[in-house]
Amino acid sequence: MLSELLQGIESGGFLIIRGKLIHILCFDVSEEELKDGLKPSDTQRLHIHNAYSDPLGWTGHPNFTVQQFSLEDLTNLVKQTSQPKPAVLVIDSLSWILRHKTPPAVCQTLQQLRKGGAVRAVIGLLHTDMHQRGTVGSVCHLATSLISVAPGVKGKEAVARVTKRSKSGKVMQDEEIFCIAEDFTVTILSKPSHAEHKTNSTEEEQTDPTANLTFNLRLSDSELEAKQKLTLPFVFSKEKKTALLHPGPGSGRILYEPDANDDYDQEDPDDDLDV
Amino acid sequence: MFTELNSILNTSPDSYTRGEFILVSDRQSDASFLIHHFLSFYLRARCKVCFLGLAQSFCHYSAVSQRLAKEKGQLVFFEGLKECLSVLTPKENNVESEAMNFLRDPPVGLRSLYEFVRSSVIGSDNMEEGAEQWGPSVLLVDDLSVLLSLGVDVGAVLDFSHYCRALVCSQVQGNMVMLVRCNGEEDDDDDGDIGSDVLLKGLTHQCNLNLHVQGLPTGYCKDIHGQMEVCWKRRQGDAPHMQKNLFQYKVYDKGASFFARGTSSAVL
Repeated sequence: MLSELLQGIESGGFLIIRGKLIHILCFDVSEEELKDGLKPSDTQRLHIHNAYSDPLGWTGHPNFTVQQFSLEDLTNLVKQTSQPKPAVLVIDSLSWILRHKTPPAVCQTLQQLRKGGAVRAVIGLLHTDMHQRGTVGSVCHLATSLISVAPGVKGKEAVARVTKRSKSGKVMQDEEIFCIAEDFTVTILSKPSHAEHKTNSTEEEQTDPTANLTFNLRLSDSELEAKQKLTLPFVFSKEKKTALLHPGPGSGRILYEPDANDDYDQEDPDDDLDV
Repeated sequence: MFTELNSILNTSPDSYTRGEFILVSDRQSDASFLIHHFLSFYLRARCKVCFLGLAQSFCHYSAVSQRLAKEKGQLVFFEGLKECLSVLTPKENNVESEAMNFLRDPPVGLRSLYEFVRSSVIGSDNMEEGAEQWGPSVLLVDDLSVLLSLGVDVGAVLDFSHYCRALVCSQVQGNMVMLVRCNGEEDDDDDGDIGSDVLLKGLTHQCNLNLHVQGLPTGYCKDIHGQMEVCWKRRQGDAPHMQKNLFQYKVYDKGASFFARGTSSAVL
């Protein structure tokens, strides 16, 4: 699903450019850093708006400030190239803007951009660890497609969780492992193996202690039968109870006749008191 | 200057990458020994160094070479502690530097401090005749977390570091080293944003190289003072992925030694 998404917008991520008209609003990185590694044929089709060198207007002659992130200014910016077709706007990064403008204002601008005709698609980068969960949630909720990137198990790989909301209201989710090559092509490697995770979470098999011994601890079938038939000596089964309570003929009997020595009175040991 | 660290980072005073933002961070530890390393490294590389000493006075860093460098004009040392006093207790004949005026009015932000940095970095181009030619400008900051304690907003500090990066790394093609200190555990979800953690995350996104110093996870050790994680980002020319390496270190009187995990001289 990641590859469909990348091709559908006709530009893969904000690094791979295959589309027609792309405007990039750079806050986080300089123009040189962004262009580094891209072929000149690609960079020609890019219109990079430098908001990196002076986003707050400290130097007095800023190119694009963060205060200009509004519908009118952005529409003017995009229409500068005087192309009839609506363009794709890439924002690097939304985190920068969210630090200086309130989340509702940013969400409103993004929504207005979407509804207005000047921009065909907006691709934004958000660093989720920089904001509170509520802010992240609000911005993500606006998006029709959401790609969450997390580091993968191996060094060069990353895991992408893609959520796509179609106009009919259907939500599709998918998770894929990908890696980015040096020429910025995205290669989808595989789906992460959920099966592996599941076997780890089930209980481990009990190891058999009678295996790999030099002597035999196992029982054969006849021995097992005999063992189960055996009654244990101090376990009271029903037969034993009745045998003890009702002694049958021939079992030992005890006959007792009281002896004179047994009649020992504690208070009259010599037996000579006339009580 | 620690030669082992130079070999780990694959740099030397004669050949180093320009336009880099190196972030030195620590958590419940003290990474200021790395600032000493970078100071002597860039002085030896004959760069013009602008040092914002917000946490310590100049004497703390002064070895013989540093004092000479200051006299020759190679090192511009901004004594944050002295400037604070001049702002808080103004005297008549004291020419007040505007750089620390955020102390009076924290919402103003760090624009004046940035102007000071700008004047010392760009102003070096207009040199008197006969003055020595120095290499590219380098900005060292020790340390940024002090600004948080002084009442500056995290956003303002991130803006300051952004502007410094735009100026020093991109415009002048010099290097920048900043120290950030965090206390407290990671993943402290209860408190929401702790200022220093948010600052560290923001700076980590901006930097090219992050040296993160921590204590050993197993506890205190006499022979190993801690571990340092070297994290390369945004390496130009390479594929865009991160590379992390973990080393352990021991700080001596006149230096520090770095070694791979488990290869300390006390163990082997």
